[in-house]
Amino acid sequence: MSDAPDRRQRLLKTAAGAAFLVLAVVLVLIVVNSSGGSGGDATQIEGAAEVDSLLAGIPQDGMVLGDPEAPVELVEFGDLQCPVCAGYAEEVLPPIIENQVKRGEVKIDFRNLTIIGEESVPAGAAALAAGRQGRGWNYLDVFYRNQGEERSGYVTDEFMEAVAKAAGVKDLAKWNEDRKKLTAEVEETTAEAKQLGYEATPSFAVKGPGTKGLELLGTPESTGALEEAIEEAG
Amino acid sequence: MKTTSFPSEWTLRRAIAFFAALGIGVATYIAIAESGGGSPVCIAGSHGCATVAKSSYSHVAGVNIAVFGIVGYALLLASAFFANDAARLGGFAVALGGFGYSVFLTYLEIFKIEAICQWCVASAALMTIIFLLSATRLIGYAGTEERVRVRERRA
Repeated sequence: MSDAPDRRQRLLKTAAGAAFLVLAVVLVLIVVNSSGGSGGDATQIEGAAEVDSLLAGIPQDGMVLGDPEAPVELVEFGDLQCPVCAGYAEEVLPPIIENQVKRGEVKIDFRNLTIIGEESVPAGAAALAAGRQGRGWNYLDVFYRNQGEERSGYVTDEFMEAVAKAAGVKDLAKWNEDRKKLTAEVEETTAEAKQLGYEATPSFAVKGPGTKGLELLGTPESTGALEEAIEEAG
Repeated sequence: MKTTSFPSEWTLRRAIAFFAALGIGVATYIAIAESGGGSPVCIAGSHGCATVAKSSYSHVAGVNIAVFGIVGYALLLASAFFANDAARLGGFAVALGGFGYSVFLTYLEIFKIEAICQWCVASAALMTIIFLLSATRLIGYAGTEERVRVRERRA
């Protein structure tokens, strides 16, 4: 009979140990998640100065970057939540922007192809609204540099507005008003891309004196491959 | 064994079974609503449920966390059918794990996803209640024999 109190003591000690363990695990999970710093944080928008420096002096009209009279037009279909697009924005496109775009040989037209999730639509519309104030490409590149994990819910109004501020959008009230009206345009370009057979982002197409209309490039894997396609179209 | 300050184990077991059954209903609804890329319907037109459902935190190793919820609530329901130490400790352990994970998910909703899913809040509330009931059951009745308790109930 004296076994019962001992068993009770053992059970309660086991339970207390388990409770302590679970508390520790939850605290560790929260600390690990809160110190992640993996982007998508409206309070820590980074890279705006770098983007300003890359795009300085280049004309922007809507989402078209470069001289409006440039003979070649490179079309990029992208999704702001797409990590590969962010990689292209940071690694592949900058040499083309610094050279062929700045020299007036090519202009780049960004069009939304939303494939990641529902939040890609308001994100794309926010970029278009920034484009109406001549800051579309600043918005795109700042967004990409602060991109969070896809579909993690980081694309909030607060995040988009923080990106707009960092991208130099002057009239935030107008931007806010415009972005709500521009979701239809995002859906139109997505439909256009799908009609061209594009399902993945980023996808590119090029048009120039050397092409017969819009020539589809798919997803060229390097800056060199894109430069070559631009030269052939010129 | 002095157990007068606790509700009878029979009452605690019935309460655990009731809330676990509700939990199975909530988790099953979330799992069905999210299958095929959908999301649960939030009350008053809130978009929180869709945002949470589309977030990367809604799946662990490719499995919807609502499925883990169904399994957890089913185990809790099963623990309420037995009046022995294994069921008391097992039920407490499952409820503790579920409660801890609910705290973590609520943290994610508020600080990372920045959206509240009402169904997830309902599940977290149910798991908290079950955890408190299971802890009360374990503290009040650990080490007691089923036979003794039957006599106590008759008395």
